[in-house]
Amino acid sequence: MVRAALASPRRIGKGPALYAAYVPAVTVVVASLLSALPIVSTSGWYPDFGFLAFISWRLLRSDPWPAWWAAPLGFINDLFTGYPIGLSIALWSATMLALDLIDRRTMWRDYWIEWVLAAVLLAIDEWLQWRLAAVVGARVPFTMALPPIAIAICVFPFSAWLVSRIDAWRLGR
Amino acid sequence: MATARPGWSRRAQYGLFFSFLAVVAGIIFGLILLVLSMVAPKTFEGVRGAALDVTGPVTSSLHAVTATVTGLVSGAGDYWDAASQNGELKRENRAMLRRMVEARAIAQENHQLKAALQLREHTPAAVASGRIVGSSFNSTRRFAILSVGTSDGVRVGMPVRSPDGLVGRIIDAGSLASRVLLVSDRANIVPARLLRGGIPVISQGRGDGTVDVRPLEVGRNPFKRGDIIITSGTGGLYPPLVPIARIVKLDDDGAVAVPLADPANTSFAIVEPPFEPLAVAADQPSAQPDTP
Repeated sequence: MVRAALASPRRIGKGPALYAAYVPAVTVVVASLLSALPIVSTSGWYPDFGFLAFISWRLLRSDPWPAWWAAPLGFINDLFTGYPIGLSIALWSATMLALDLIDRRTMWRDYWIEWVLAAVLLAIDEWLQWRLAAVVGARVPFTMALPPIAIAICVFPFSAWLVSRIDAWRLGR
Repeated sequence: MATARPGWSRRAQYGLFFSFLAVVAGIIFGLILLVLSMVAPKTFEGVRGAALDVTGPVTSSLHAVTATVTGLVSGAGDYWDAASQNGELKRENRAMLRRMVEARAIAQENHQLKAALQLREHTPAAVASGRIVGSSFNSTRRFAILSVGTSDGVRVGMPVRSPDGLVGRIIDAGSLASRVLLVSDRANIVPARLLRGGIPVISQGRGDGTVDVRPLEVGRNPFKRGDIIITSGTGGLYPPLVPIARIVKLDDDGAVAVPLADPANTSFAIVEPPFEPLAVAADQPSAQPDTP
């Protein structure tokens, strides 16, 4: 009785899922593919799902994928979302580097710090998109980029929760 | 790359260093591609088209599903009141109204198809007609995904219209799907004129589903609420006399207008060849940089 209560809820024989090492990258690609959803919107207020999934994984674990995978993953995101090609490649690689540097500096990590980091990264992402759109002739007031930033920041906790569930599943916990 | 030093293992240290180099290389590679796609957008036409071919058919089929579901849901909302008023006839009502919703949807589609066919009679040179199945809902740019591609004869630069009005122009074309730069995108500038009086104006998207219209001649604001803007045919890309937008709000030197062809409700979009291909071809080297 006592032993049963103290035993871990893990079942015997339950280990990491098959191809567990590739699950994070696959979920990021799937998130990028969400832009193929048949949503016809007149305002581009939906978050950049690929980047959300990317930073959710990277903030949860320091090694969800080899660091150089950021470039091909970003390329896939650029292709499917219609961003100028190279935007996500550069931004996602830079994100890997920046978060590694931040990991060395931060003394502790909690949800609030992660959320702030994610908010900063998401704001940089939207700002870059806005800036590059201005370069190619689509200059809109920056206030128009604020609602998508706010929405993306609010969606991040949900994305982080989802990613942590997927992580638990892939590791068989 | 997480910790400063992975231990005394030389192998681990080198691995860390090389992964650092790989990430820096990724950043540089991305920046080079980014500059390329800014200054020479045609470089990536092929891969962009291929990506559209991967997602286009999926989006089209999902669009069919969601269109059906939203049709059923809104239909259910319509008859909820009637059903609650009379308990006895509820079930009968429901069955009948379900049939009616189906019939209504078919009738509406018929109506739209007829409208599209009539338009094709007026413009015999239509290249293809397709559905608007998706959009760039996570970007400040305004693009839409159209369910026809190069296998139907669609080429980059062709104007797209619907029975209601001008939709935009093709900027990426895969063989099964293509991407449309909507008139509400900031980079889409359409030479136009006022239907009432024929005053030449310029229409430029605002990025939020509406367009800015400005008169070419500086002076008195010629717009009134409810005015219709039509294309003028200047520049040779868009055909003349296609309605673009209706003015909803005046500001100090122009007005804000709402496009008549709402991409969310436009079932059929028609791709046409450029109005004067020779003029467009002559402008090509100078007019191209505004596409991404």
